[in-house]
Order: sequence, then structure tokens, then C-alpha cells
Amino acid sequence: MSSVLHLNVVTRVHGEGATEVRALRDVSFRASAGELVAVMGPSGSGKSTLLTLAGGLDAPTSGTVSVEGVDLATLGNGGRARMRRTSIGYVFQDFNLIPALTAVENVALPLELDGVRTRTARAAARTALDEVGIGDLADRFPDHMSGGQQQRVAIARAVVGDRRLILADEPTGALDSETGEDILRLLRVRCDAGAAGVLVTHEARHAAWADRVVFLRDGVVIDETGTDAAEGLLESGVTR
Amino acid sequence: MSRPGAGRVTSWRLALRIAAREALRARGRSVLVLVMIALPVLAVTAADVLIQTQSVSSVEGLDRRLGSAAAQVVVPAEGRPMIQAFDPYDGNTSDGRKQEPPAAADISAALGGARLVVERTGGVDVRTDKGYASADSVEVDLRDPVAAGLVDLTSGRLPQDAGEVVVNRALLDKGYAVADRLDIRGKDAPSPVIVGVAESPELRTYPYVAGPVGSLGVSAAYAGGPTWLAAGGPVSWETVKDLNAMGATVLSRAVIEDPPPASEVPAEIRSWSSGSDNAVIAAVALVVVMALLEVVLLAGPAFAVSARRQSRSLALMAASGGTPAQTRRVVLAGGVVLGGAAAVLGVILGIGAGWLLVPVVQRWSSTWFGPFDVPWPHLLGVAAFGLASAVLAAVVPAVIASRQDVVAVLAGRRADRPPSARSPIAGVLLIGGAVAMAVFGTTSGDTGAFLIAGAAILAVLGMLFIVPVVVIGVARLAGRLPLSPRYAARDAARHRTRTVPAVAAVAATVAGVVALGIAVTSDEAENRGTYTPTLAMGQAAVTGYGLKPAKWDEIEDAVRREVPDADVELVLAAAGRGSSVQITAPHHRGPLLETMTENFGSSILVAGAVPSVVPGVSAADRARADEVLARGGVVAFTDDRVDDETAVVRRGHERVTVPAAYVRFTAGSYPPLAAIVPPAVAERLGAETSTGALAVTGTDISATQQENLSEAISAVSRNAGFYVERGYQADQGTKIVQLVLAGLGAVLMLGGTLTATFLALSDARPDLATLSAVGASPRRRRGVAASYALVVGFVGAVLGAVVGFIPGLAITVPLTAPAYSDTGPFLDVPWLMILGLVVGLPLVTALIVGLSTRSRLPMVARLE
Ligand SMILES: Nc1ncnc2c1ncn2[C@@H]1O[C@H](COP(=O)(O)OP(=O)(O)OP(=O)(O)O)[C@@H](O)[C@H]1O
Ligand SMILES: [Mg+2]
Repeated sequence: MSSVLHLNVVTRVHGEGATEVRALRDVSFRASAGELVAVMGPSGSGKSTLLTLAGGLDAPTSGTVSVEGVDLATLGNGGRARMRRTSIGYVFQDFNLIPALTAVENVALPLELDGVRTRTARAAARTALDEVGIGDLADRFPDHMSGGQQQRVAIARAVVGDRRLILADEPTGALDSETGEDILRLLRVRCDAGAAGVLVTHEARHAAWADRVVFLRDGVVIDETGTDAAEGLLESGVTR
Repeated sequence: MSRPGAGRVTSWRLALRIAAREALRARGRSVLVLVMIALPVLAVTAADVLIQTQSVSSVEGLDRRLGSAAAQVVVPAEGRPMIQAFDPYDGNTSDGRKQEPPAAADISAALGGARLVVERTGGVDVRTDKGYASADSVEVDLRDPVAAGLVDLTSGRLPQDAGEVVVNRALLDKGYAVADRLDIRGKDAPSPVIVGVAESPELRTYPYVAGPVGSLGVSAAYAGGPTWLAAGGPVSWETVKDLNAMGATVLSRAVIEDPPPASEVPAEIRSWSSGSDNAVIAAVALVVVMALLEVVLLAGPAFAVSARRQSRSLALMAASGGTPAQTRRVVLAGGVVLGGAAAVLGVILGIGAGWLLVPVVQRWSSTWFGPFDVPWPHLLGVAAFGLASAVLAAVVPAVIASRQDVVAVLAGRRADRPPSARSPIAGVLLIGGAVAMAVFGTTSGDTGAFLIAGAAILAVLGMLFIVPVVVIGVARLAGRLPLSPRYAARDAARHRTRTVPAVAAVAATVAGVVALGIAVTSDEAENRGTYTPTLAMGQAAVTGYGLKPAKWDEIEDAVRREVPDADVELVLAAAGRGSSVQITAPHHRGPLLETMTENFGSSILVAGAVPSVVPGVSAADRARADEVLARGGVVAFTDDRVDDETAVVRRGHERVTVPAAYVRFTAGSYPPLAAIVPPAVAERLGAETSTGALAVTGTDISATQQENLSEAISAVSRNAGFYVERGYQADQGTKIVQLVLAGLGAVLMLGGTLTATFLALSDARPDLATLSAVGASPRRRRGVAASYALVVGFVGAVLGAVVGFIPGLAITVPLTAPAYSDTGPFLDVPWLMILGLVVGLPLVTALIVGLSTRSRLPMVARLE
């Protein structure tokens, strides 16, 4: 299995001197195609920082972040933006969608930003919406959708155009548990189809959907369960 | 995978779509921007439509001038070959030697045998109840088919012979009726019968009379030479040039309707018309640039707030792979969408407003307007201006938005970056540059105004860089203030992305008003400073030249009739036939006076004391002069130092040496006479004396008395006039214009300050909500909002006032000390107004904000 995402001894320091915060310290991390990795840890442990680094929205203080074998630092801003349009998909906890655009337009956004013709982009977006089960809501505005529906749109946007790496930062944080499960199921399906997924979550229950769990504390990886461990967790009775 | 080529178009389309949606979502803000941009576009469009409609172009005016003739031919008296523009009224001049002027037959032949009808235009004075009124007149056979369209008969009939005329309603209003005889001024003037009412196609409220040749006694010379209307085939430019060579100018219908290429206009004439254009273009460019700047700065905060509102959407776009350029485009597209809509709306409404206003303005005008005219090329420019101002206003917010910290925004953190240490330095440098440019502008003549306008823009830009530092400074100083202002100052400093545009908008309007204020008061100071009294203060006199004694008697009667309690004093002048009186100082070289006018009919008055009407003589000088006159000496006025005690007075071969007082006029008065000699001296020299003026003394003269007397005197003679010296009086019209400007400025400034403040507050709404969530009373919230407005208004007003001084002081130099004058520059700073602005404006805005923030921030809610 080739690793889609590779963080190599990454450190991220915010601020200087007295206000210095080491959000991540010498973290190494891989996510491979077809694999869903859960990242867990207490608040402030650096989970979100890890995701922003992986998405190229932020740059490490030291170490390298590679996506599909390309070191993001070598790409420049434009190159990293292109990566986010074509290879990396983001799902956030809330406020996920652009309120001025309909569901299908939100999903088509990365493609349109990439210069795909509007009609082609829309078609792809509708397919993606169908896949997450809300094809009938394509022309609604986010304001007129439930949180779960919005999050499905966000996932559709994260996967549209065959993105290989999906980064989700507490995607179920604002949802009730049942809807949350549905969302995770969608992520799982996507990873089974060949994408690499990184899922930040607080809840052990959600981690059960993952192949692997990485534990962070104070910016350091303190534990990493293998596939076996993840399977062990499955014994808690969750099926997939 | 990326397709940059196709991407640009798609991404503009995407940006426009997002911007249009955003504009619909934030309706209040969109309407605000729409109004801000559409209003100036509307005003300019309406004004342009009115001007174009009111002005009658050569083509539109053809029927008025030609009737149904093919051409009008004028033979200027000189008989030299002519060169002319396509329309001879746009320029014509003689070129070459005198020759025999062409006769009617020659002209007819040159026009291919066209029939010629004599036309004489000119003016006559007709008697009215109060005196005389001037009327435009034309003599032409109105029943000739060629004259059809020259007048518009509304009642009665056209004249049939030289004893009959038609007049317009404006002339009837002077006290005539149909069937009256028209009383025309002049010894042998005819007095034709009015047989009909006919409107001139041009003059509306100005009297107008038309009749056959001979009916009005208009001399051919008055019209600039014999004139004919030619009935015949179209007259080509070639024929026009042939006639020019013969010594005639031609207004040809065919040439005006379908002009030859502009290169056909003779070079001499072409250079005429371009003469004054540069100044006009400069002025227009200046106004356009200033207006653009003003609109941009006022609309800027709206886009800044829009961009902030959208910051989450924009960050999401970035997270989905949008580049900074694409982010920028979304905000810019907001400018394109709103600017485009405002431009179209403004132009359409402006045309409508113009259409509605034409009849209203027509009522005020003395001439008939042309057909309704929509100047599309101009309006395209005006619309482009609206669009450009919106896009420009969106530029800075767009750049800021594209640079925002995506991670911070997505994490819900406010992401105002600390101000760069370099920006205040850049600001100071820019302002320094502005000062240098302004100073240079004061010394560089015609282009100076341009440089000073440029300096104004530079100064405002420089100020933008300084605003953040000042806002932070204010926040530091606010440490010891009560909670509300302290919180407001801190808040303003923390959220500079919303505070800075608001402060800048306020500062820009204040700077404009301060600069304008300094210019206006200094201009006024110049007018007052360079005012030269015609008479001594408070005096009144009838002056005239070349009047026979009988006329003076008539005038004196009129004075006694109209101002019964006044004393009338004759001011005698040494005038009349023969050589004039000369005065020289024995030990002084050169002329005693460099320049002088003759206000009293002659340069030398004959009097036993200095007449009280003579201006510019100090009390001490007056006493000294009177004493010398009493001793039989003369008073000589001079603008030099003269130490002599005597003067040599000559007339022809006669000469006497007498005691003399040499008097200098007080500063700021223009010498109205050269000397005063006592009657005895005038007699010794055999100089004739005649009335030079009538001093009207002993009573205050009211404005009505003055008006009535003036009218009565002008009925006696055109060469006499009545004047009352009331000192410097600001022109009524100018005063009204100034008041209107001041009102507009105040509205603009208050409106600008309020919108900017409310926009900033609408962005601060979540914080205010949090404030009340933690228990702040509505009163506290009101206090915070008002304090915020106070901070914005105060910082803006102070900075604006300071910046406004740069162009304000500079512009006074070209304004009050033009190159050709030796006075000035005058400088008068309206300190009171500026103080009022700096103190009053912030307080008024704070008050309004405080009051309207009452319970639920109603106005802010609407702006969202
Ligand atoms: N822009 C920043 N400036 C300073 N410190 C920061 C910044 N961003 C993150 N940090 C710090 O880095 C550390 C890690 O933050 P991060 O957001 O990654 O935590 P997290 O694990 O996602 O927490 P949570 O579960 O609460 O979301 C925290 O201590 C945080 O205070
Ligand atoms: Mg987090």
C-alpha cells in the first residue's frame, strides 16, 4: 500500500518566546490508500494542527508533509491550492458550506475553481450528492438544510473529482449520534473505494470505523494502534 | 489537471455568480452601495441630458436660423476674402486684400441661380412704461416661403407691408397689445402696427419683433453686413469656399447636416476653437477624479464589511483549493455586480429625471430648448465611471480578503494582522510627497491646479496608512477612560479591518470640506481685499459721459422725483472743447499717476473742496487738501512720493504756478481722478467746466429707490448710470451657491460618517450581542456603540482636517493670486467651521448612533 499522506518528523510552533506553543512535536504519520485513520486526543493536543498541515493550509516549522509523494513545501501557494482542488478534500465540524451557493454549487466549487466547465462540474457534483444520498436536495441553499444534510453535502464536496485524501475534523461534532454514524459510514465507503482518510474525533465510538487510531497529547504521538487494535475495538459491537 | 486558460473565464463566472448571490443575501448593504454609486451617476446623467437638450446644436438650430432656405449668406462690410468653419458662427475671419464686395447678382450666380431674400437681424429699443426695453429684431419677408420656420405665428396674421410687424409674448408683456403701434427708440425710427403674435423659435422671455424689410429701421450694418436667405438647391462646401473667396460667409444647410471631413476646416479657424478647451478639460478631469475618490472612499467600507462577512466563505473557498486570485475576484466581482447595476440604474433614472426636469428648467430659461437629447456617448462614460468607482472601492477589501489567514478564520478566530511597522513610514512619506507636490503646484501656473489635486489624492492615500497607528494610539490613551469609551476604543483598534475604512471615509469627506472651505473663504477674502470702491463709502452719485446739459437737467429732475429728501450736488469737471488741463510737480520726474479711470466724466474736477463722493482719501488728507483748495491751490493725486509744495498747471499756452497738496489714494482703491482745481484756477486757464456727476447726499437710499432711479435715468440716456457705494457686497448668486454647497457638503459628510459607522457597527454586532449576553444593559450597549462612533468620527475628523489643509492652503495661491495679477495670495482659514467639524461632527454622529442603537440596533439590522 502506497501512503497518500506522509508527515515526516513534523514540528509546528506557534508564536515566539513567552507565548510559544508547540502544537506538534516531531510527529511522524502515514495514511495509505484505502485506509481510514482516526486521530484522537484531548483538546489542544494538536489534532486540528495536524490536519491543517496535511491539507497544506499551514506549513510545518520543521519536517516535511508529502501528499501522493509530493512534498507540499516544494509546491508554493498556487501548487498547494491546486492540490486542495484536485487531491485533498476537507470536511469541517460546522459552517461547512458557502451560504450563497446551492448544495450542488457548493459541491461543484472545487471543480469550477479548477476550471472545469460549469455543466461538467455540476454533473459530477450531482453524482457525488447522489452517492451521499441527498441527490434530491441538490438545488437547496445550506440555510434550508439540516445539519446532517449539510455535512453530507460537505462530504460530497470533499470527495468530488476523485480526491485521494480526505481530511475530516470532527465531522460529527455538531450532529446527533445517529446522523453522525451515517456520516462516518459515508467516509468509510469512500476509503474502501480507494481514498485515504484522516478523521479527527473525540469519541472512541467513532474511532471504531477506522482502520487505525493515532493518539496525540501535547503535540506528541503517544500511542498508535495497529489494524489489530482497531479490530479489537470492533468487538464493542459496531458493525460496518 | 489544472486548466489555467479555461479557468480564468470559469472562475470569473463563478465569482460573479457568488457575488450576485451575496448581493441578494445582504440586501441592505447592497442597496446602500447601489444608492451611493447610482446617485452621482443619476445626477450627472440628468444634468448632461438637460445641458444637451437645452443647447441647440448646429443641426438642430438650422430651421431657427435658415427657415426653409438652403443657405444664409452674409457679406461682411470689409469685402475681404473670408475663411470660415462649417458653421460660420463657430469661427470666421477675413484673409487677404480688400476687394469689391459681391453684389446680390454675383452671389445668386455662384449659388447656381438661387433666389435671394434680404434678411436683416439686429436689435431695437422699444418704449415701455418705465423706460426702454431691448428687443431682438429681424427684418425679412415672413410671407416668403423661404422664411417658413423663422417665426411661429400663434395669433393674428403675418405682416403684409413695411408698416406692420409681429412680436412675441414677452414683448407684449412689456405693455403692448395687438393693433398697438410699436414705439421704437430713435429719431427717424418707424412705428409699425403690431398685427400678430409670433414666437421666435429661440427666444422665450426676451422681447422679439419681426417684420418686413424697412419696418423696424434695422440698418444693414448692424447685422454684420448685408444678409440673404438663399432659396435653391443644396449648397456644397465647394460653393461655400467659392463664396468665401468672393468675400461672403455662408451657413449652408447641406454642409451642416452632412459636414465634410474635419480636416477641411481651415487651420486658422481650427486653432480658434481648441483654445479654451484645455482649461475646461482640466477642470472636468479634476472634478471627475475628486468625485471618483469620494465615491470610492464612501463605498469602500461597504465592500470591506461585505468581504468580512464573506470571510468564512472565502476561507472555505481557499480550503477547497481556491487561489488568492480567485478569492480576490469574488470580492471584486461584488464591485462589478453592484457597480454595474448602479450604473445602469443611475443612467436610466437620470434620463428619466432629465426628461421630467426639462419643462421645469425651460420655465427658468429665456430661450427655447432644442429637442430632447440623450447624449449616449457621454452617458456611456458616466456609467463606466459608476462601474469603475465600485470596482475601485472593492480593490482594497479584495486584496485584504485574499491575504486572510485561512486557518484562523476557519477556527473562528478574528484575523486582524498587527499593523506593519513600515506602513506609517510609507504614510508619512506619501504625505510629505503630497506637501512637496502642493508647494510645487503653487508655483507652476496653469498646471498647478492639477498638481494640487494630485497632492490631495496623495495626501488622502498617505493618511490611509497612518490611520491604523492612530487608532491603536487612541486605544492606548483610552486606558483611563470609563468602560464604554475604553471598550469602544479597544474594539476599534482590535478590528482595524472595519475601523480603518470607516475612519478613512470620514477623513476623506472632512478633508474635502476643509479644503473647499479654505478655498472659498480665501476667495471671499480676495474679493473683499481687492474691492475698489467707485465712490466714498455710503455715497451715491449719478455719473455719465458725453451728456448735454439738458440731459443733466432731466436727470436731476428724475433724482428729485425718485429720492425727494436727497440733496443734489453738482460735481463739476474740467472738460469740454480745447486742450486739456495738465498738472506737473516742479521737482518730480515722471507721471504723477501710473493708472487712473475717469469716474466723474473727466480726470480733473473743479471744486472748492474735495467732493464727498471721491473715494480713497483719508480724513487727514481731505483736511489738508481742502485747506489748499481754499487758498486757491490745487489737489493733485499721485501714487508716488512727491515733496513739492507747489504745482504747475497748464492748459495750452496758459500756465500758472499755485500751492498744491499731493495726495496718495489709500491702499486698495483705484484712482478715479487725477486732480481737483479750484474754480478760480479753471477760470484763469480758460477751461470749460461741465457737469461730471450728480452727488446724491443727505439721505440713505433704499434698494427700491436705487432701482427706480436707475431705470428712470437709463430712460434719459444710455450713457448715464446711478450708483450707490455700499462697500463690498458678496454676490447674491455666489452666496446661494455657497450655501447650497455647504448644505450638500454637510449632508455628504454626515451621511458618509453615519454609513461608515453603521457599517462598522453591523460588523461589530456579534460582539455587542455577546456584550448583552454577559449582562450589559441596553444603555451600556448604546454607550459602547456611541463611543465607537465617537472614536471613528473624531479620529477621522482630526486626520481629515489636517490632510485637508494641504490642498486647501495650496489651492489659495492659484485661486487668489493668478499669474496676471499683482495682488494676493489671500488666505483666510475658516477656523470656526473646522473646529465645528472636528468637535461637532463626531458628537452628532455619536448622538445619532446612540439614539438609534436603542434596543435592537434597528439601523444596523437593516444594513445586514
Ligand atoms: N494560531 C495559533 N496561535 C497560537 N497558538 C495556536 C494557534 N493555533 C493553535 N494553537 C495552539 O496549538 C495547540 C494545538 O491546537 P489544535 O487546534 O491543533 O488543538 P486540537 O487538538 O484541535 O484541539 P480541539 O480538540 O480543542 O479542537 C493548542 O495549544 C493551541 O492553543
Ligand atoms: Mg481542533
